Amino acid sequence: MKQFNLWKVLLVLFFILLPTTLMAQGLSPILSTDDLVKNLKDPNLVIVDIRKVEDYKAGHIPGAIGVFYNNWAPGKGGLQNEIPADDDMMDLLSANGIQPDSMVVVHGSTGTGPDRVNVTRVAWMLKYAGVQKVSVLSGGIEKWAVREKRELSTDVVRPKAKTYKGKFNKDVLAKKDYVKSQIGKVIIVDTREPAFFSGQQKLPFVAKVGRIKGAVNLPTAQVFDKYPPGEHMEQCCWTYKDAAALKNMATGVVGNDPSKEIIVYCDSGRVASAWWFILSEALGYKNVKLYDGSMEEWTKDETDPIEP
Amino acid sequence: MYLGYVVDKDLLKTDPHFKMGCVLCHKGNAKEIKKEEAHKGVVKRPSDNLRSCMVCHKKITDNYAKSLHYTTAGQRNGVMARFSKEELKTFDEKVFEKSCRSCHASCGDCHVKGAPVGGISIGLIKKHKFVKKDEGKTCAFCHGGRVYPEYTGEYGGSPDVHYQKGMLCMDCHKKMEFHGDGTAYASKQDVKDRPACKNCHKPGQEAKLTAQIAHREHDGKVTCYGCHSGSAYRNCNDCHGGHSAASPGMMLGRSPRDKKTLTTLRLIPTVRDTFAPAGIKMEHFDALPNYWDTPAHNIRKRTDRTRNCDACHVDRKNFLTKEMLIKNGSKANDDLIFVPKPINR
Repeated sequence: MKQFNLWKVLLVLFFILLPTTLMAQGLSPILSTDDLVKNLKDPNLVIVDIRKVEDYKAGHIPGAIGVFYNNWAPGKGGLQNEIPADDDMMDLLSANGIQPDSMVVVHGSTGTGPDRVNVTRVAWMLKYAGVQKVSVLSGGIEKWAVREKRELSTDVVRPKAKTYKGKFNKDVLAKKDYVKSQIGKVIIVDTREPAFFSGQQKLPFVAKVGRIKGAVNLPTAQVFDKYPPGEHMEQCCWTYKDAAALKNMATGVVGNDPSKEIIVYCDSGRVASAWWFILSEALGYKNVKLYDGSMEEWTKDETDPIEP
Repeated sequence: MYLGYVVDKDLLKTDPHFKMGCVLCHKGNAKEIKKEEAHKGVVKRPSDNLRSCMVCHKKITDNYAKSLHYTTAGQRNGVMARFSKEELKTFDEKVFEKSCRSCHASCGDCHVKGAPVGGISIGLIKKHKFVKKDEGKTCAFCHGGRVYPEYTGEYGGSPDVHYQKGMLCMDCHKKMEFHGDGTAYASKQDVKDRPACKNCHKPGQEAKLTAQIAHREHDGKVTCYGCHSGSAYRNCNDCHGGHSAASPGMMLGRSPRDKKTLTTLRLIPTVRDTFAPAGIKMEHFDALPNYWDTPAHNIRKRTDRTRNCDACHVDRKNFLTKEMLIKNGSKANDDLIFVPKPINR
């Protein structure tokens, strides 16, 4: 009889603890709108809308907080998309009630190329700050609102401020000197379009054409698909390719070894964040760093090795 | 596809503005079927004539007719000290009425359609809906060269801390500033009820002692912007003569309106030959400086100056110097140079 009661107690405990266990696993790094809906009532969920304040106020996913992209990636020292000072970052997280164990879902618009990579840049920034569970919403606000016609709210969410107590994970960042020292030792991935990788084109803020010596090419533009395929953009958005396709693209360039160190870069440290996020968070590569200064910083110094 | 000029047909049924048809404001002939005939006498910007709106919104339009947004008097009065009497007359006729005044905002520019700036318009704000406010499309378009991109951080640096917290223009600037209060002010400096940092941030209520001390020490000597402007803002240095140039920068110096106060200065584009095409030499050009105190809209809680006193008192970072002054600029610029003293430790 006593043994039966013990089993009953264990069974009840199992069902009580089950949701907590599932919650601890976090959400899929690349999150579908359906999965977001399933988790909307999770008290640990923080949905971060990184569009401009006026766009957020005009309509956002219910419960989402609005923290514009530029707060996460200010211009600094003549470079774009830089890391905020630690104390400013702490303020930003604390003011928005984000904690290291929060389940953060970052989203914005997918309308333009910069819009699409802004999301992963913020996700990288959160990982840098030590937030453990960070996802990005595939299809962004357009899939949610335009394609799926889901509810939008105009109620501005005022998050409850709470001092952020996470430990910064600066291993996800590669600084210039480090990148220079690792040439020939690690996989350096140029995530720009082939014309930029091959030295035929450059952006105005980059001093010289070319790539970091020894880099391989894995363009970010290829990680997105129009959704639905063939439909005019007014009808929806861009979503991430499925995991199998992303894995196939990645392994063809960086190989299968998840322990191999990889450094990704682009022109200003924004575009490369998409592959950083996919490699590190979605595909399980254990040691991926983002070279934040990227070609904007690299080409300012004549001595930094460039090819071709 | 650009839909900036497509009117929402459903609005025609629900919005009282359309009760008497498009012709009430836009004129033309609604009974004609052919476009050319129907559009004869069409008025593109009906609210340029305030009487269009006055029929129903008399009090607001009466005030607005005297407001600085409508009169643009600030532009004239801000530069007039550079002119002789004769030059001012020429300026009024040839420049102010034909150029500056063309920038005045009509009611529709804020409530229906973005104002055309430099010949470019964003089109209707919300498919011809009469919107109460939409700062990101209206304020941002006219003030998009300097204020707005600095505020959102899109000019470089970080967003203004108020934007970071979700605040838009009208969270600080009240309706009265836009519509006016019925007084024809000569300049925005004369308007009494303007936003001020201290309206919300009362001195003595700082959480940290260091902030309390710093505020107490600098009170009345340095404006809030002087320490809390977060990054470089746009400075226009060679405009109006058929050529223009702008560059980011931050300059600290004496306020031209109050020489005892240190503040952020912005280079304003009136140079010696600005009005030369109109035959105006500016006989008293040196009466006014080229740098003016600017309430930079890129406020941050922490800046390199709030983090370290030495940024100003030792390194003199961003302080306007004689070497930095524009070439062939006003002699009045020299008076704005301020050299901070080292701190007695």
